[in-house]
Amino acid sequence: MIRNYFKIAFRGFWRHKLFTLINVIGLSIGISAALVIYLIVHFDFTFDKFQPDGNRIYRVVTHYSYSGQTGYNSGVCGPLAGAVRSQVTGVEATAPFYMLYQPNVFVPGKGNVPVKFKNEDNVILADQQYFKIFDYKWLAGSVSALNTPNHVVLTSDQAKKYFPALSYDQMIGKIVTYDTIKTAVAGIVETIKQNTDFTFHDFISYSTNAANATIKDQLQLTNWGSTTSQSQLFVKLSAKTNIAHVEKQMTALLNKNFKEEKGNTGGFSLQPLNDLHFNEKYGAFDSEHQANKTTLYGLLIIAAFLLILGCINFVNLTTAQATQRAKEIGIRKTMGSSRKQLVVQFLSETFLITLIAVIISIGLAPIILKLFTDFIPPGIKVSFLAQPHVILFLLALIIVMSLLSGFYPAILLSGYKPVLVLKNQASSNSSKTRNAYLRKSLTVTQFVIAQFFIMATILVSKQIYYAINKDMGFKKDAILIINTPWKDRSTSKRDVFLNKLRSIPQVDQISVGGNTPPSSNNTNSTEATYKDGKKETKIDLQEKFGDENYIKVYNIKLLAGRNLRSTDTSKAFLINANYARLLGFKSPNAAVGKQIDKFNGDKAMQIVGVVADFNQGSLHTPIVPIAILTSTSIYQNGTFHLALKPETADGAEWKKAIAQMGAYYKQVYPEDDFDYQFFDASIKKFYESEQHTSTLLTWATGLSIFISCLGLLGLAIYTTNQRTKEIGVRKVLGASVAQIVTLLSTEVIMLILLAFVIVTPAAWWAMNKWMQSFADRTSISWWIFAASGAGMLILAVFTSGFQTVKAAIANPVKSLRSE
Amino acid sequence: MLSLQHISKYYQNGGNKNFVINDISLDIDEGEFVSIMGPSGSGKSTLLNIIGMLDEPTDGYHYFVNEAVHQLKDKQRSALYKKYIGFVFQAYHLIDELTVYENIETPLIYQDFKGAERKAMVADMLDRFQIVGKKDLFPAQLSGGQQQLVGIARALIAKPKLLLADEPTGNLNSKQGEEIMELFRKLNKEDGVTIIQVTHSEKNAEYGSRIINLLDGRIESSKKF
Ligand SMILES: Nc1ncnc2c1ncn2[C@@H]1O[C@H](COP(=O)(O)OP(=O)(O)OP(=O)(O)O)[C@@H](O)[C@H]1O
Ligand SMILES: [Mg+2]
Repeated sequence: MIRNYFKIAFRGFWRHKLFTLINVIGLSIGISAALVIYLIVHFDFTFDKFQPDGNRIYRVVTHYSYSGQTGYNSGVCGPLAGAVRSQVTGVEATAPFYMLYQPNVFVPGKGNVPVKFKNEDNVILADQQYFKIFDYKWLAGSVSALNTPNHVVLTSDQAKKYFPALSYDQMIGKIVTYDTIKTAVAGIVETIKQNTDFTFHDFISYSTNAANATIKDQLQLTNWGSTTSQSQLFVKLSAKTNIAHVEKQMTALLNKNFKEEKGNTGGFSLQPLNDLHFNEKYGAFDSEHQANKTTLYGLLIIAAFLLILGCINFVNLTTAQATQRAKEIGIRKTMGSSRKQLVVQFLSETFLITLIAVIISIGLAPIILKLFTDFIPPGIKVSFLAQPHVILFLLALIIVMSLLSGFYPAILLSGYKPVLVLKNQASSNSSKTRNAYLRKSLTVTQFVIAQFFIMATILVSKQIYYAINKDMGFKKDAILIINTPWKDRSTSKRDVFLNKLRSIPQVDQISVGGNTPPSSNNTNSTEATYKDGKKETKIDLQEKFGDENYIKVYNIKLLAGRNLRSTDTSKAFLINANYARLLGFKSPNAAVGKQIDKFNGDKAMQIVGVVADFNQGSLHTPIVPIAILTSTSIYQNGTFHLALKPETADGAEWKKAIAQMGAYYKQVYPEDDFDYQFFDASIKKFYESEQHTSTLLTWATGLSIFISCLGLLGLAIYTTNQRTKEIGVRKVLGASVAQIVTLLSTEVIMLILLAFVIVTPAAWWAMNKWMQSFADRTSISWWIFAASGAGMLILAVFTSGFQTVKAAIANPVKSLRSE
Repeated sequence: MLSLQHISKYYQNGGNKNFVINDISLDIDEGEFVSIMGPSGSGKSTLLNIIGMLDEPTDGYHYFVNEAVHQLKDKQRSALYKKYIGFVFQAYHLIDELTVYENIETPLIYQDFKGAERKAMVADMLDRFQIVGKKDLFPAQLSGGQQQLVGIARALIAKPKLLLADEPTGNLNSKQGEEIMELFRKLNKEDGVTIIQVTHSEKNAEYGSRIINLLDGRIESSKKF
């Protein structure tokens, strides 16, 4: 019987080719999007799910409140691990590890010439317990060797990189040197193939610190007052342990061993393993791999909407055709078909359409994956499609979609009473009006979704445009940033390089300093106290390090006083207008010459000048008090800020200059690779996530408009066909083409206006919410709504218009004669 | 075979009841061939539909092969219908999407006949009506008379005990109509199928063993031959 259904279904599809095409396209788009989004979401939500007892594994993280500012650190202080082992109950295993910063690795090569691997990442110091918590397969050697200093365990991939010619067993005992740490290979574990954030591949024995002074110094094993994210701690709790209880014990240890200054607090909390991949506050180890749950949920919503739009087309077109099929239904019933059999028949038709759409989607998925490489985690590959969970997902999707789009039409169609049909009364059947009502509601729903996307897209683009083009208080273009190598920070080398840079003709000015005016990372701030008679004003003050050229390179406006001089170090600084205002000065001039008493502890600093406010970060963050000051420390003077001369017409000068800089860099720092950044590009990077949102929204908008318009086209074709006779009669009676087009278009226009009225408040609310994340934001202008409404209207009228006009200009004699 | 007792059907029209069938009582025995006549709008089709359980009366008792139809649930009613009744329409009502063969086969599918069995039965029927050559054509490719033959073949395929026909020859010329009537007579005489037909033609009505005349929803006269 099912075969019979499918046969009939195929004939029906063929007969209504256009409607079938519209249905298949609409559903395919939704299903393709859902498939790709499923791959992404599944990928991100399965990170480290394979770890045994994963729900008992936690990372110990630090939170602190420091002169009113709260902060979070993914690391812990050095002594905590030892103290937890001996004094905290409820912990089954404790695994501290320390991430070395990109050591150069040396392995023995031919003829005693070591082979060098530059700046290796993911090298850590760890002990046995790390392997007790995290599951690794041992290919050679054993974990016990990690007890003794100067041993290393490698993952199989890394081992093959170091020793391509050896078997795993032969590698044991071989010497690997990390900068100055000499180790012997003690074991090989298999590289984890599942999705994991634990991508470490060199595990040096933690006890090596006892034998190596540099390491010992970095680990700070006795200092309770210093925390770095390089030093992390994982614990596995015993079954049924209360998390809060463990956290309390750990925080108590800190309070016992370290006296915080008044007003400051610190403590530890346990971050569940499954939070690691998502929590931006703490980051994973390599933050690029982190996923954002809000984005993932946003993607799911987009997928759901696109699926719904496809279903709506199906329901609309099927119910519109209902009267045509009513006859078939009536006859089948008089031949003994039960309602259930008819429902099954219609559902199997829907199933077939959905199945076709799924097959098309599977074909499309690789193309989409390629198109969206920027958004898609690198771990997702086309081969994912062959995994059992993906096939299960597709099956579930087919069933859900078939039911969603097929159920109502099936119930409606199978409900026709045979007598009515046989008496040709199906069209005057009372359910017809209910039908038309439902169809209109669904169409309105489509327009609501489409218009929502249009509005959101316009607003997000507007905000990005605003953010990138806003006058932030400094010059953005023609500025180049070059960092001296992190590992080779010597003043003499820097000055050699500086002089070479100065000799390049295209360079206008150079400032040596720290961060750029707005910077996304490493903002230093300190408490500063100003005394005005008896009144004391304590304010957190951000520090920017730069020499006398800093404000010149960036064109930061000096409002009062003078610029910095090299002799100002530790004595005087510039402040921004915001700080001057907060200190209570009526004008910038009034602040000049005044003294800040307690800066950075107890230093006294003089205000020599006041600069105009500029943004210190993206527009997400507000302008805060800041001081610009010189420093002699190489760490605060490791960045060159170069203002370039404008390019002439042929535009090759900068390229040439940059090539020259690269050459000089190699002369001074032969060990390191030259890297530079244009300042304006790095500002655009502040809004990377917004740019992503914008691109996604644009796609969502395009697709939802496309699907909705397809549906609209289908309905327009259907209605004009239905009304051919009416149109003919009206024309014979003297109606003009324009009058007929108006008659046929009024409904569409009304539906879009209704959708507009519904969506506007919802969109306004959502936009407002999104904009809250910006401290400085563009306005939600009325024209955003007007433009989306008008755009949708024009598109829709245009879509249905072609069909309408065709019907209106057709010769009435033809349509009437056929009757 | 069937018995209608005080059957009425009316439509509410404002405050008025518009009686289409007005208190009809009627018994029909197995093997009868009944012709229903009457002016347009007198309720013939409605009566036939009620007998065929496609329509429900507003009042009255309806017995069919000793079952009280007015007390049955939808499901039981359609089971009863499937087992005993075949329908032929004036407008043929073939499914446009199906071939002649498939149209005739469809009732068997709904009655859960096995594939091989269906094949044999349909082949038999095609043979009997001499439309083997047309089996792969669609209804639109047939003449009116041929379509009605297919309609009758389809009504008879599941071997119904009762054949209901609403103006089966209404759209045919008199020669085609005669052929259909001969066929009905043969079915009635040789196969013992009970037939109730609605017709406007005096001549066709006389093929029956009883003629019932309806007027305004009442039986005006009933003659047996
Ligand atoms: N849904 C309805 N609402 C109101 N009246 C109805 C409805 N359906 C049928 N009728 C009325 O019932 C009456 C009988 O209809 P029926 O189809 O049984 O007549 P008929 O005798 O078969 O006529 P014809 O010879 O033209 O086929 C008609 O007067 C018709 O107007
Ligand atoms: Mg009639």
